[in-house]
Amino acid sequence: MAYLHVDHVSKRFPGVKALDDIVLEIEMGRVHTLAGENGAGKSTLVKILTGTEKPSRGRVMIDGQDASSHDHLHKTIAYVPQEINLFGNMTVAENLFMPFSRSRRGGWLFKRRELERAAQTWLDRFKIAASPGDKVRHISISDQQLLQIARACTNESMKILILDEPTSSLTETEVERVFRVVRDVVASGCGVVFISHKFDEMFAISDTISVLRNGRKIETRPASQLDDRQLVSLMSGQEVKTDSRLQPEGGSGEVMLQVEGLCGKRFEDVSFALRRGEILGFAGLVGAGRSEVMQTLFGFLPARSGTVQLEGAPWRLGDTHYSIRHGLFYLSEERKYHGIFPGQSVRRNIGMALLSTTARHGVIDARRERARVGDIVRDYDIKTPTMNKNIAFLSGGNQQKAIIGRAMACDPRVLIFDEPTKGIDIRTKMEIYRLMKALAERGVGIILVSSEMDELRRCANRIITLYEGKVSGEFHIDQASGDALVGAIHGHGGGGHAA
Amino acid sequence: MLRKAMGFMVSNPLSGVVGVLALIVVVASLLSENFLNSYNLVIIARSLAFIGMITIAQSMLMILGELDLSLGAIGGFCGVIGGILMVKLGLNPWLAFALCLVIGALFGLLNGLLVTLLRLPSLVLTIGMAGVYGGLNLVITKGVAITGIPADIGFLGSGKWAGLPVPFWIMLLFLIVACFITLKTPFGRYMYAVGSNLSAARMLGIRADRVRLGVFAFAGFLAALAGMLMVARLGSAQPSIGDSWVLGPIAASVIGGVPTTGGIGTPLGAIFGAAIIGVIENVIVLLGISPYWQSMVSGAIVVIAISLDSISRRYFKRD
Repeated sequence: MAYLHVDHVSKRFPGVKALDDIVLEIEMGRVHTLAGENGAGKSTLVKILTGTEKPSRGRVMIDGQDASSHDHLHKTIAYVPQEINLFGNMTVAENLFMPFSRSRRGGWLFKRRELERAAQTWLDRFKIAASPGDKVRHISISDQQLLQIARACTNESMKILILDEPTSSLTETEVERVFRVVRDVVASGCGVVFISHKFDEMFAISDTISVLRNGRKIETRPASQLDDRQLVSLMSGQEVKTDSRLQPEGGSGEVMLQVEGLCGKRFEDVSFALRRGEILGFAGLVGAGRSEVMQTLFGFLPARSGTVQLEGAPWRLGDTHYSIRHGLFYLSEERKYHGIFPGQSVRRNIGMALLSTTARHGVIDARRERARVGDIVRDYDIKTPTMNKNIAFLSGGNQQKAIIGRAMACDPRVLIFDEPTKGIDIRTKMEIYRLMKALAERGVGIILVSSEMDELRRCANRIITLYEGKVSGEFHIDQASGDALVGAIHGHGGGGHAA
Repeated sequence: MLRKAMGFMVSNPLSGVVGVLALIVVVASLLSENFLNSYNLVIIARSLAFIGMITIAQSMLMILGELDLSLGAIGGFCGVIGGILMVKLGLNPWLAFALCLVIGALFGLLNGLLVTLLRLPSLVLTIGMAGVYGGLNLVITKGVAITGIPADIGFLGSGKWAGLPVPFWIMLLFLIVACFITLKTPFGRYMYAVGSNLSAARMLGIRADRVRLGVFAFAGFLAALAGMLMVARLGSAQPSIGDSWVLGPIAASVIGGVPTTGGIGTPLGAIFGAAIIGVIENVIVLLGISPYWQSMVSGAIVVIAISLDSISRRYFKRD
């Protein structure tokens, strides 16, 4: 019998059935991937496995015993959340062993040297470059991601490790580091539950894949007996057309946005031009400064120097209000921190950008607002029971659609997408790609920042690479060889300027 | 119909605080036969008028995620300034009254400027500013009240209209204004946006600093109004006016559904919270409980009220 056995588990929340009669077996020494669209029930299932939610019906058997009456069994299941969840101002070693009692290294006194010595062995095992005394906020994102996994593994009773989209903020080379660790954990005899939206990763790492859809388990199969197409149709319940090329036609229009010598926090002397009708991609490692460039251009971060022109007119930097009023919109990858207003309804979240049209004589016309928000909810297929629902309760994909719909309502001339498909299922992904293409063909300038090479190759007409805050290459999509692109991203042998 | 009404009551965030208030009123009227007589209700209304104006101001700041602990000091200082203008300088009392409201708004604005320009946490800054305003107050008055306030404005403080004190009606007027601003105008939406997620608000081009300055100034205005109405009521400018206006309004706002973390709640809910505290304090007096027990009992009841609210929130999983 498998170590972890999910026995006909259902979970109800007020108004929703999040899980419906799930049966699942997770075995030791194997990687079991949970696949499903946003809102399919993966997160709820994970919460039940870790014991933070109780099933409404059914039970979870761990090691042959009913977990509901043996609470300690849940402790054998370690969970690494998608977001970085570390104490930024504390050291690597402190983060690794917090709370100290768990590793029996606390006692009454805090012994720094002993703690750091113990930490070093973990860092070596996980190939984390940072040293035990470094403050966590100073180490790289991928090291932080690995540190989170290492922290979960310091739990000596761990039998199953759950990784919730551990790669969503990593680039492809960094993903390989995570995979090495996963293989190492599996080799030590533990089971791994892996959650991802990226197919190549699922097939690269999994032994078994289970597909969830609308709270039900649709299928469990060995990974070797599945391919992309089957997986997509299992996840969505219908054939999804995955176009391989979604570049807008043309893209040789006049220059819309001209950036010259822009300098700011963590980047230097960035110049580029965006042409009307094209999608301009930005590639680079995490920390290369892509988001910083875009946020500075948008006015969210201060610029040290540089000039920008939009459609020939001089542009003012450092004022987001100005940027939006003059048609430049930035959609952050940090939906939670930069996008939604938690605690507010979907209606208010979307309505926030519509106030210039829904308010008359300084008073918001509620009927008008409801109608316009209703249109956006429908047009962008945002799944929510009512528009008065707290947006924090929507799935990530639906939050993203709400944010995009809100931005579109402002009629932007230039739209910057920063990792628009992070944590988003394949069907919504395709919708976003098609939307970007349609917008570009309508004359909106589109900049796409992405860590997924596949996404950039599929959507962008040109790709600019950044390395450590500087432009390291510019590629026309038809002339961009994979090697040259990857080289430019890593700062080797600057890419050919093929504009 | 009944079902719909029930659904509304469960989902409406105000139903909890209104229910608690109703319960307390019922209990109070059972405990003391004097509670529901009109004389006592006028007393409650009058004290609610003053604390209510500060509560409206504080709750609007709290929606933004800010606090102003100097509102009481601003109220007291503006009252004293008003007294000096009217008595010592012989200014027209109406003009002096209006001038003081402007000065109050400027004090609030100053707090807001220090918070936004220097990026200071408002909690710490306004503790300091409370010392500054309160200290200036004492330096000028040497702790002695300014008496002889012209009777012209007396009815603003002690008059009655339709059976209730004039300050109470003024408070209600500004409650309507505050609710209108927060719920019906773009500015109000920006307040919730800033309080709920400052980065996201900036990402949408909302000028968070302007929103903050506006609310700080409005709060200072309301504090000065409360202070001047108190001067009108007492007929003298007491330097101690406003000393007890600091913590009550914050507790009232929290009870009424405006957490200190910002982003949700309404001034209306906060006023219900203030009413709960007001009724409790009134009942303690009516029952003749020793004054030494009063602050302990009212403090404990605040703790109980917010605990009940938090528990019910978790139980019903209200958004």
